[in-house]
Amino acid sequence: MPGETSRKRYDGVEQRIGHLAVALVLALTVLGARLWQLQIIQGSEYAARAERNRLFFQRLASPRGTIYGPDTRIVLADTRPACDLVLVPAECGDPQVVCSRLATLIGIDRPALLAKIEERKKEREPYAQIVIKQDVSKNELTRVEEMSFALPGVFTIVRPQRRYLHGRTAGQILGYLSEINEEELGARKPRYQMGDMIGKAGLEKVYEELLRGHDGQMLVTRYAVGTPQLRTDPWGKPYVHTDSYGRLLQEEEQYRRNPIPGQEIFTTLDIGLQAKAESLLEGKVGAIAVLDADDGKVLALASTPGYDPSIFATSGMSKARLEVLEDKTEPMKNRAYQDMYPPGSTFKVVLAAAALEEGAIDENSTFFCGGHFDLKGHRWRCWKTGGHGTLSVVDALAFSCDVFFYNVGLRLGPDRIHDWSQRLGLGVKTGLDLPQERTGLIATPVWKKQMNAHLEPSEQEWYQGDTVNLSVGQGYTLVTPLQNAVMIAAVVNDSKRVRPYLNGAATPQVTAPLLSEHTLRILRAGLRKCVEKDQPPSGTGWRAKIPGIAVIGKTGTSQAVNRQYTDKYKNEADIPYALRDHALFVAGVLDRTPRLAISIMVEHGLHGSTGAAPLAKELIAYFYSHPSPTGLLAKQE
Amino acid sequence: MPYLLRDLALTHSNIGVFDRQNVRRLDPVLSLLVLSLIVVGLAVLTSASRNVSSSIPYYYAAKQVVWFLVGAGCAVLLVCVDYRFLVSLAPGMYALVVGLLIVVLLWGIEVKGGQRWLTLGLVRFQPSELGKIVLVYTLAWYFSVLQERIRRLPYFLLTFVIVGIPMLLILKQPNLGTAASLIPVVFVMLYAAGCKRWHLAVVILLGLVAAPLAWSQLKDYQKDRIRSFLNAEADPQDTGWHTIQTKITVGSGGMWGKGFREGTQTHLSYLPEHHTDFIFALLAEEEGFVGAVAILGLFAVFLLRGLMLARDCPDLSGSMLAVGVVTILGFHVFVNVGITIGLLPVTGLPLPFLSYGGSFCLTTMVGVGTLLSVQVRKGFFRT
Repeated sequence: MPGETSRKRYDGVEQRIGHLAVALVLALTVLGARLWQLQIIQGSEYAARAERNRLFFQRLASPRGTIYGPDTRIVLADTRPACDLVLVPAECGDPQVVCSRLATLIGIDRPALLAKIEERKKEREPYAQIVIKQDVSKNELTRVEEMSFALPGVFTIVRPQRRYLHGRTAGQILGYLSEINEEELGARKPRYQMGDMIGKAGLEKVYEELLRGHDGQMLVTRYAVGTPQLRTDPWGKPYVHTDSYGRLLQEEEQYRRNPIPGQEIFTTLDIGLQAKAESLLEGKVGAIAVLDADDGKVLALASTPGYDPSIFATSGMSKARLEVLEDKTEPMKNRAYQDMYPPGSTFKVVLAAAALEEGAIDENSTFFCGGHFDLKGHRWRCWKTGGHGTLSVVDALAFSCDVFFYNVGLRLGPDRIHDWSQRLGLGVKTGLDLPQERTGLIATPVWKKQMNAHLEPSEQEWYQGDTVNLSVGQGYTLVTPLQNAVMIAAVVNDSKRVRPYLNGAATPQVTAPLLSEHTLRILRAGLRKCVEKDQPPSGTGWRAKIPGIAVIGKTGTSQAVNRQYTDKYKNEADIPYALRDHALFVAGVLDRTPRLAISIMVEHGLHGSTGAAPLAKELIAYFYSHPSPTGLLAKQE
Repeated sequence: MPYLLRDLALTHSNIGVFDRQNVRRLDPVLSLLVLSLIVVGLAVLTSASRNVSSSIPYYYAAKQVVWFLVGAGCAVLLVCVDYRFLVSLAPGMYALVVGLLIVVLLWGIEVKGGQRWLTLGLVRFQPSELGKIVLVYTLAWYFSVLQERIRRLPYFLLTFVIVGIPMLLILKQPNLGTAASLIPVVFVMLYAAGCKRWHLAVVILLGLVAAPLAWSQLKDYQKDRIRSFLNAEADPQDTGWHTIQTKITVGSGGMWGKGFREGTQTHLSYLPEHHTDFIFALLAEEEGFVGAVAILGLFAVFLLRGLMLARDCPDLSGSMLAVGVVTILGFHVFVNVGITIGLLPVTGLPLPFLSYGGSFCLTTMVGVGTLLSVQVRKGFFRT
């Protein structure tokens, strides 16, 4: 074969192949240059992007701060470890068997769980955990753990869960947690994320910033697809072992940041008194506010009906939750400061104070009450049909004479009444550290003109009749029960206005005395007589009398509707519930420490003297016989 | 045409023989280069096998060893057989491949949107891979038969008919990558065969003019790939994913790389297909700029050695075979690496010696065998 001739090649083939070699070298040089650009020039930038790809931030939930009573002995809300039962489809062997066992042990929905397992397997993510049951009870947990050898792939995950230890009691004050919504999330990133729980009402909302801790994090090397699966060891320490595809993942332990728990809060709330107040209102719709008159500590702020915030603690719409949300009586509203009522005769305290301070009357000024008051052809009645006869301010307060205060009101005029109301805390926000407080309303001619600007001029005008109505806390007048408590606190604490507060760490805000000693003495005399005089003619508040305790008080019966709707019923018991008068009572204790200021409102309770005053008596008796709320410690676990 | 038929007969009268002694005459440089590329390829594949859950250790590498052994067998066989004998058989092989391409279009199994396979018992293979090599042989036969006549326009144009038939069939599969890889083979071989330069220039110009027409013929996903290449960050999750992730993978390797089997982008599946089409990214991530350039250097030396062989071989068909093989392998290297480092739009094209996959491994080894077959015989001719 050597020496054989070949097909001849044309001239210049070497040159052309040389060209090809040059082209080849050029092409490879381009590749090399590009590699230089990517790996050397932009290398660190791409390295950072690769790290961002790789690292998965697993958040570690921080426990929420505890809400205490005045000291650590009373826990109102805390964070307990909750066990969620989860199942890993890939590890559970025969799902039919495991699901049947689970169904008998803890009563889960077997077909639904089987369907979920199938779904995970179909999605080829058999290691994605399925939550079988959130927050299983100790009993259930024990049962499952005893059977764990027969329940492969079933285990528990521990997470912090809010717990309200007193159920309904103080529920509205504590508020509740629920999943954060888009709007709330807005500025709160990255501390919050979608699906986080956030305080939606009460203290949980107001002190959200303090109560919520800072979530920790761990960094896990993750795959491009699949979700790292968080587990917890028997001590509740979180770790990540696999992702949803079952691939092993590694934690970058040096980057772990443990969660910082939320701060604890001490409150002024006397949970025993709160429970007592709520039990007194049981079956009624109403509110009770009890303050330490001297500094404004809120000792109780009851409102019925109420709700147990625990029903919001687990996600999902439970039956209990729907019932509360749809209840027409609005159990989520704290009527003590989130609703307003005409103050009725309790307003006379303000009127008396204003008149004495302004010199409109003095201690000895008298008016005659014949049972009614006539002005320009209109007639206003006194609650006592026969009339009170001639009386001065002390008796007018004690017996709650309407006619006396009609006259006083006309002497003062609406603007001065308005000013003094606000000074004493009515018709203005009290500054309580709870959300959505109502303002109330003390009407003035200016207000009426503005409000009725769209109506006839005759509707805009302020009439003397309006002043008459205002004088007994009717007409346009609206206050919250808590405002009434602030008002009566001023009578108790030597005429200082307090700001009610719940956070024990807050500094009390107390004004300088607003009234003269003289005025205060007369007010106290009237209000004392109102409670103290229990022999006919008795004071309207005599049912609140407790021998040995200097209780002052003032009743109020405020019309829910105009008299004309209720006059047709001869017998009080026949009046339909919704038309009945509200029963109010404000009370104070002068000679004990702490001095209490109490405001009671029972919706449609008919009479302040019968519907509200007796509750004050029970509250006061309870409070001073239970100096420390230790009796409630037993309620905790 | 009469010339063609005459020369065909002549070729057959002049067939070569088997000579196992030829294996001893192998060029040590070329053999060593091939051997080192195979070793590097297997090493990279052991890294790519890291996350494969299989009882076979180093799954891809282990399977690829088998393919390399089969391929080496083919290469040895090719070295023993006189390449001119095979070139003389080229028209028959060509007919066979076109037949197979039609069969695969009608009865083939579709795998991952495009590439079609034929199943022969246990073995699956892609006729289009076979087509690449057969086309080189066919063109070598055609040019060596034509010799100077390639300068005439009709013969020049006939080349495109020869290539066009299998190419259209492959396009129809649709397998854009393989079809496109045939184009440079034609042009380069035509150039090396001595066609008129302006003929070639006009055809290239016409091709450029017709490019918009071709665009309208592309499937939507193919258009998406090109669009996403041009603007990857617009759709980082979907079509732009590969384009972005491959750059991150390569770039994050830096100068020295993250270390053997330590690549995060690849092992955590941010860059899929890192054992096949994106194997170079794995290499660049783990071995860095130094490793990547070293491998490019190995390829460069290997391909230049192939071109030297083409230059030195006195026989035109031998030259043509060498040029064809170098073009196929060089084109794969350039396009595959170009895609990986974000110079070209994503299309599935394997990297010779490194990418996992049987069919292309055989193609590569048959190409290597062809080169060596030419090399051992280049000294036999008297010019």
